[in-house]
Amino acid sequence: MFRIIPSLLLSNKKLVKGKNFSNYINAGNPVATISALEHQTADEILLIDLDAYKLKTEPDINTLKKIAEISSTPITFGGGVDNFKLSKRILTNGADKVYINTALFHNKGLIDEIALCFGNQSIVGGINLIKKNNKYILAEDKSQKINPIHYAKELENRGIGELKVTYVNLEGTKLGLELDYSKKILYEMNIPVIFEGGIGKLEHLLECYKINISSVALGTLIIFSDYHIIKIKQYLKNENCVVRI
Amino acid sequence: MKIGIINYNACNLASIYFSLYRLGYDPILINNKNKIKKIDKLIIPGVGAAKSCLDYLKENSLFDEIKIFLKSGKPILGICLGLQIFSKKLHEHGISQGFGFIDAEVVPFKKRKKFNIGWSILKVNEDLDFIKPFSEKSFYFCHSFYLKFNDSLDKKYCKGIIDFEEVVPSLIIKKNFMGVQFHPEKSQRNGNKLLKLFLNWKPKLNV
Repeated sequence: MFRIIPSLLLSNKKLVKGKNFSNYINAGNPVATISALEHQTADEILLIDLDAYKLKTEPDINTLKKIAEISSTPITFGGGVDNFKLSKRILTNGADKVYINTALFHNKGLIDEIALCFGNQSIVGGINLIKKNNKYILAEDKSQKINPIHYAKELENRGIGELKVTYVNLEGTKLGLELDYSKKILYEMNIPVIFEGGIGKLEHLLECYKINISSVALGTLIIFSDYHIIKIKQYLKNENCVVRI
Repeated sequence: MKIGIINYNACNLASIYFSLYRLGYDPILINNKNKIKKIDKLIIPGVGAAKSCLDYLKENSLFDEIKIFLKSGKPILGICLGLQIFSKKLHEHGISQGFGFIDAEVVPFKKRKKFNIGWSILKVNEDLDFIKPFSEKSFYFCHSFYLKFNDSLDKKYCKGIIDFEEVVPSLIIKKNFMGVQFHPEKSQRNGNKLLKLFLNWKPKLNV
């Protein structure tokens, strides 16, 4: 079943939303928002602690716990996670999966450590893609020589349970997802892949569905517009897509 | 009624704890064998790796206590890995021996898709009235290993399946044991209903 995953950014106990990873503005109370999204049948929630990612502060486990108190929707939590101890705190305090991006670029051994204790299905590996000279590169890759798809496959072989792909340049633009490159990624991967970046209209979701994308993370479309998840799913259902309503 | 949740030092403890709390219970977290004795119903959560979970239970004498609890006839709910450890043999990160209560082995998905993560529709065996309301309802799954029944009479205890790459046994009821491959604590309304079913369940031991 097609998964619609609201992608939320946490900063100083509040949700925020930005464009191209900057210009953040307040987007509400995380507990109330997630409770509302649950009632709208959000299939999962992806919550990234922006302060922990940018300023290397401790992730906001307290807010995560408050969310767990009210929510029975699967939650993936991340933001600057770079060690096992922290992953363990996240997974035992309300998250079902931990999202790790940059740290895996430097230390793939972290996958083994988490998998041995919590199982491979608890790790969502992330890649941030940037388009340069008409070519996609990994945001972390200073050499600009690594093929992102080879890298993603390496993460799969090492044992992540899911891959999340973010098209950084498309974030907040409402231009639609990058379809050609996404197809190439899907062709190579044997684990679920979540795509994010650029989805700004209902038609964009249908485009994703048609190239066999099974999961999308939505930021802009959900946080700063009047699109309601039920409305989104109803649209997809009318277009004969299999969604959970 | 006292509900106990086994804490094997991995698992999504907060999620399962709060879902029971929201249903009006005050569950007790169990990390040593003395606490088990006072419990009326036991829940063994998921999100963990088989070998480290079973090692932990054995090292902390919880393995034998759970066996005693099972024999006492009091209800047990096993979720995801908490279901899988009731099989005979598990193949996650090396081989480990489970409780051997269900004649099955736990094996990885081997075809194109290696993980089942997301919502699937449960198909239930209609011979038990009390599980009929769960027929064709969607639940949240997150796993790469599944229960494969050996060719024996125990197959009849499988009361619900989903179709993934393989047929995945997803609801098992044997005597006072109920096991689910999905995560009721993460399955919103349908999950709450399943938890309520377990909390009100009075198993018939001769079934």
